Amino acid sequence: MWRGLWILVARAARGPCRPCTRQGSGAPAPGSGATIFALSSGQGRCGIAVIRTSGPASGHALRSLTAPRDLPPARRACLRLLTDPRSEEPLDRALVLWFPGPQSFTGEDCAEFHVHGGPAVVSGVLQALGSVPGLRPAEAGEFTRRAFAHGKLSLTEVEGLADLIHAETEAQRRQALRQLDGELGHLCRGWAETLTKALAHVEAYIDFGEDDNLEEDVLERADSQVQELEMALNAHLRDARRGQRLRSGAHVVVTGPPNAGKSSLVNLLSRKPVSIVSPEPGTTRDVLETPVDLAGFPVLLSDTAGLREGEGPVEQEGVRRARERLEQADLILAVLDASDLASPSSCNFLDTVVTSAIAQSHNGNSQRLLLVLNKSDLLLAGDLDLSPELPPHLLLSCLTGEGLDGLLEALRKELTAVCGDPSAGPPLLTRARHQHHLQGCLEALGHYKQAKDVALAAEALRIARGHLACLTSGGGTEEILDIIFRDFCVGK
Amino acid sequence: MFPLRGCGRQIAASFTKRLFPLARCSGDSAAPGIPHFDVVVIGGGHAGTEAAAAAARCGSRTLLLTHRVDTIGQMSCNPSFGGIGKGHLMREVDALDGLCSRICDQSGVHYKVLNRRKGPAVWGLRAQIDRKLYKQNMQKEILNTPLLTVQEGAVEDLILAEPEPEHTGKCRVRGVVLVDGSKVYADSVILTTGTFLRGMIVIGLEMHPAGRLGDQPSIGLAQTLEKLGFVVGRLKTGTPPRIAKESINFSILNKQTPDNPPIPFSFINETVWIKPEDQLPCYLTHTNPRVDEIVLENLHLNSHVKETTRGPRYCPSIESKVLRFPNRVHQVWLEPEGVDSDLIYPQGLSVTLPAELQEKMITCIRGLEKAKMIQPGYGVQYDYLDPRQITPSLETHLVQRLFFAGQINGTTGYEEAAAQGVIAGINASLRVRHKPPFVVSRTEGYIGVLIDDLTTLGTNEPYRMFTSRAEFRLSLRPDNADSRLTFRGYKEAGCVSQQRYERASWMKSSIQECISMLKSIEFSSSKWKKLIPEASISTDKSVPVRALDVLKYEEVDMELLAKAIPEPLKKYTECKELAERLKIEATYESVLFHQQQEIKNIQRDEALQLPKDLDYLTLRGVSLSSEVREKLHFSRPQTIGAASRIPGVTPAAVINLLRFVRTAQQRPVAATKSPKTGQCLCDTEKLEEQQL
Repeated sequence: MWRGLWILVARAARGPCRPCTRQGSGAPAPGSGATIFALSSGQGRCGIAVIRTSGPASGHALRSLTAPRDLPPARRACLRLLTDPRSEEPLDRALVLWFPGPQSFTGEDCAEFHVHGGPAVVSGVLQALGSVPGLRPAEAGEFTRRAFAHGKLSLTEVEGLADLIHAETEAQRRQALRQLDGELGHLCRGWAETLTKALAHVEAYIDFGEDDNLEEDVLERADSQVQELEMALNAHLRDARRGQRLRSGAHVVVTGPPNAGKSSLVNLLSRKPVSIVSPEPGTTRDVLETPVDLAGFPVLLSDTAGLREGEGPVEQEGVRRARERLEQADLILAVLDASDLASPSSCNFLDTVVTSAIAQSHNGNSQRLLLVLNKSDLLLAGDLDLSPELPPHLLLSCLTGEGLDGLLEALRKELTAVCGDPSAGPPLLTRARHQHHLQGCLEALGHYKQAKDVALAAEALRIARGHLACLTSGGGTEEILDIIFRDFCVGK
Repeated sequence: MFPLRGCGRQIAASFTKRLFPLARCSGDSAAPGIPHFDVVVIGGGHAGTEAAAAAARCGSRTLLLTHRVDTIGQMSCNPSFGGIGKGHLMREVDALDGLCSRICDQSGVHYKVLNRRKGPAVWGLRAQIDRKLYKQNMQKEILNTPLLTVQEGAVEDLILAEPEPEHTGKCRVRGVVLVDGSKVYADSVILTTGTFLRGMIVIGLEMHPAGRLGDQPSIGLAQTLEKLGFVVGRLKTGTPPRIAKESINFSILNKQTPDNPPIPFSFINETVWIKPEDQLPCYLTHTNPRVDEIVLENLHLNSHVKETTRGPRYCPSIESKVLRFPNRVHQVWLEPEGVDSDLIYPQGLSVTLPAELQEKMITCIRGLEKAKMIQPGYGVQYDYLDPRQITPSLETHLVQRLFFAGQINGTTGYEEAAAQGVIAGINASLRVRHKPPFVVSRTEGYIGVLIDDLTTLGTNEPYRMFTSRAEFRLSLRPDNADSRLTFRGYKEAGCVSQQRYERASWMKSSIQECISMLKSIEFSSSKWKKLIPEASISTDKSVPVRALDVLKYEEVDMELLAKAIPEPLKKYTECKELAERLKIEATYESVLFHQQQEIKNIQRDEALQLPKDLDYLTLRGVSLSSEVREKLHFSRPQTIGAASRIPGVTPAAVINLLRFVRTAQQRPVAATKSPKTGQCLCDTEKLEEQQL
């Protein structure tokens, strides 16, 4: 009786839009028939990465990648050569396991691939799985939800599920934001816009074409838009297969009011002079990124401009970028000048950034924050007692290095939590997901061209749009109606 | 079974004598002699007539209260029924044995299926209707419906009583008080007051309180509803002027001819009443820059256009068309109002200018140069109640046993009203008999889409049906409305006649039988090529091809297929409707397979019911943000599926709700408090039935 549960959560998880009308019908059905796959080991340094599938096509997927061998015996680890079923290129020698349902983690047929942990191998296996018919990347928390749906979790375990799903959704959202930041996101949104408009025009042709004077060439225009979109997607997918640069690792963003010592902290943590440090507030203007290894975890450390009403357009832009980066962070290092806590800029920062992040984390938001009070060397004994309302914090002096051990220990704890969560949407999975939906969109556009009647053609566009909506969110019926009534004088 | 057949007419004829043979006299000692009905319907428009007839079909003693018996079945605006999306609704109303489709088959003067070339899923059955005939036929039907009594009277107030403890709601409706102070008791009350709640008619700068030209608005009732705490909003709509037929020069205009033969609306009719050649044509003319000028020069004389009240975007007045799309030519359809009517309805010319300016505007349109305006166009502004205050069975959250249907819920259109009417009538009757409500899911019909949209999202403009609103458009087709709804209507509501049920059963089983036959017949493509040379079957594949796949080809129909393989296919071509429906099933087969999967998933969510008596604001033991609590409190979703569609209700909140319901179900205390919860949490068997 719980079978249907995860579906609705999956639909709801895609955003606040209504799954049915508002989401647009075409969203590829995460039906109970679908088989899902995901990288289920964390993104820390590891020799072995575990990729899992769940659903009826698991056996087929396992056979496809290990052809011509047959399924291994149930629940027994076997060594197999993995090949890409499309190109027949070898991918890796891997341990594979076969768990026929219901005796598996989710209760469905499951397969596990233990591959060598390099990004190229993992990415190759994920893409090979994505090409097997009936398989798609898992939505946030979907494995757990399936386990729940099949009665594999007790009610107590379920208690944590809501929080887990919330956290995973948040993490995937941030991951998607990072991926969609910049050119790729711009492209996706542009495609979604074109497609929505083409669909709106076809829908207008269906609902109003008979009685109202729509322009004669509504359908032809939609056709040419679809054709252009098809070409763009094709070109992009060919390009993407060569591999786009991935910014992997946990995203740690250093923020704070101007002149709190953010850049000093970044330089201290990365043990090299990444940022220019000067006593002048507003020295850092752009976002400076540096990949570092913190407590054994791959981390992308970002130094950002101090948050204030910037002077001049360059600094203002820097502050805007800093705020944007903050949105995408897995872990925020909030830095304040310990000797300057009473100043307006410090208070303002505490009120806006720190307290709101802490409040949100109580609501199950998985974004984490460490408050660091820098320049502890300038403090006199008892100074801090003046501000007893401070949230939990760490004292540090970038100058003397005092408190660094404590900070590293705290960072280790936080990063274990961030990186240890396999479902936090590692970039490889995001990319597989990306490719899956773009491919799905492209296929649907192909059906559009072959459709025998307009209703079928519109259905193909709805499905195509559903795929893009999975990447960009949005995609409701209301949007379509808005375009119809904006572009056409319909109605009587 | 129905010894009272025919008595309705007498009652109506003698309504002034207050004779209620169907009414029980109230058993209350406090109120001897006061008539008592199972269901009382207020309003005799398209929602009211369907509601009253449906309640009576379900076996409830029903009273229809209307301002004037002679306006029952009045088409207050356009002289047509159906269209794209709206035709779908009519087929569904008919599948539940509703009236409007059958009446239209007896009253149309110009039948035309729209979207013929765009695929059977979006065919729009539509007809120009003779207003007089429609009204006559509707009144005949209503006055002859067994168990249904009709009475004239304006309702001023509701009689309220203590709520039933086992249901939510702050009070229960017990009956109505008429303007003359007399009372009628009822176990359920349905309000279908249309535009009459504080209705206001606007022409130019003049405003008159009226529900429709010449009819008084209901003010007392609007006040009662507001006092009860209903959230009220305001909407506007409009209607064009009427023009004398003989004053129009049709000879210079484009003529639109109707279908021959006409396609009936109802599943139980094979033909319509009118001979194909006797149908009346429509004519097309266009506006011109002079019309724009008149509108723009006189905006200061047009208070309706200036108001901020929301009007429909898709049924715009000529003023809003001119303002939003300047320098364009707009279509004006000249539609007949009836066989012997002298009036023409200029569809597309809805206008609220002062009357003399309307006439001036009309006469500068081609073909209308000498046109005589008989009645000016006017705007109507009226109250509606936020439909998030009703359940999917159309009962209000606030007042038990009170149901709303039609424009009062913010919709526009005869068909939208009729669809809600049937559902309200059925549910008012089921409620009286303590049976579970009859709810149509959005996966089952446009009726479901309509009611789900209204009850979960509300509306801030008059809501009209479009096929683009239905996510399962390829499954919810005009041709299969009976297999979607007739069986449920028969078994769960009892609103469907035996005859219709048997016909639908025969049709469904024939289709299923033939489809599996078509799947089992397999030949090589070269053999198919020989059997049916007309079809462009490609021979490059070596796999065997099913007859069902051959039927998918545009140029192939059952006739052709049966000619090639007479045995066993010949018998399936004897019924034309069956043959056509088989062709449609084949066309959509591959897409429908995927859609069925998605539909099943959604129906599973819909089967997970939330207890009705949850107080979301104070609910303990479940972690929900106050924002989510507010939203759930206002909309009171009935199922987990509906809750997940409310904007702002997060996935985590949905999981928390589910967990709460599941734990509550295991505790006996909670279980007695909401007896239905446990029962409804099971997957319903009907979901497994194959849908055609």
